[in-house]
Amino acid sequence: MERVEVRIPSNPIFERVVRASAAEIGESCGFSTERIEDLKLAVSEAVNNAIEHGNRIGTGEPVAVVFVLDDEKLEIVISDQGGGIGRLDISRRVVDEQHLDSGMLRGFGMYFITALVDDYEIASSQTGTILTLRLYRKD
Amino acid sequence: MSDIVQREEFGDVVILHIRTTSVDAISASAIASACTDMRSVTVLDFDEVSFINSAGISALLKFVVTARKAGYKLFAMNVSPHHQKIFKMVEMSRFMPTIEEQDLDVYR
Repeated sequence: MERVEVRIPSNPIFERVVRASAAEIGESCGFSTERIEDLKLAVSEAVNNAIEHGNRIGTGEPVAVVFVLDDEKLEIVISDQGGGIGRLDISRRVVDEQHLDSGMLRGFGMYFITALVDDYEIASSQTGTILTLRLYRKD
Repeated sequence: MSDIVQREEFGDVVILHIRTTSVDAISASAIASACTDMRSVTVLDFDEVSFINSAGISALLKFVVTARKAGYKLFAMNVSPHHQKIFKMVEMSRFMPTIEEQDLDVYR
């Protein structure tokens, strides 16, 4: 088992650092190009959620991302120190006339995460949220 | 207009070439600001784009909203297979179908 840990300030620019790390680690796992793109997007959404909705941008709290590789899978654990999340909407979110007309143009992130990884777990409390993503080495 | 979006105009057409690899939270507002000056046929060129996330999609939806209100046609050009998949997942392609560069010849 191998671990890679990345800790970033709660500033959206540093999400790109984690995304670049995810791409390199996905490649080292032997994932296909398409699967690496899925990994990058899922990690990007999870880190942005931790920065924006967890730590509330600029509060000084870091976002921790741990990549754990073993023979079976790649696991990514994203942690923030925010106040936790209440109800989580993971339903499929699509662009439709109603949302466009009402100006609701956001909210696709959790749908991307849940659709693009093999499985995931969320543990949330008043001291923070831990999101664990897993991609199995199928091929 | 920011350096992130470069305009190319002919006839009723404007092609907005997105000159960043990441359409994300950092580039979103600069890209979205170009939606204030669209034409009756507006094409977003993704040739240099290698990454789009939900913050980027929110920015692109501002073009969709503006096009719908004004009755403009909006197209996407040079979209990678991965981004075509992402656009289909959220049904973005319904409001911003892809177009081939040669299909624009009729407007030149």
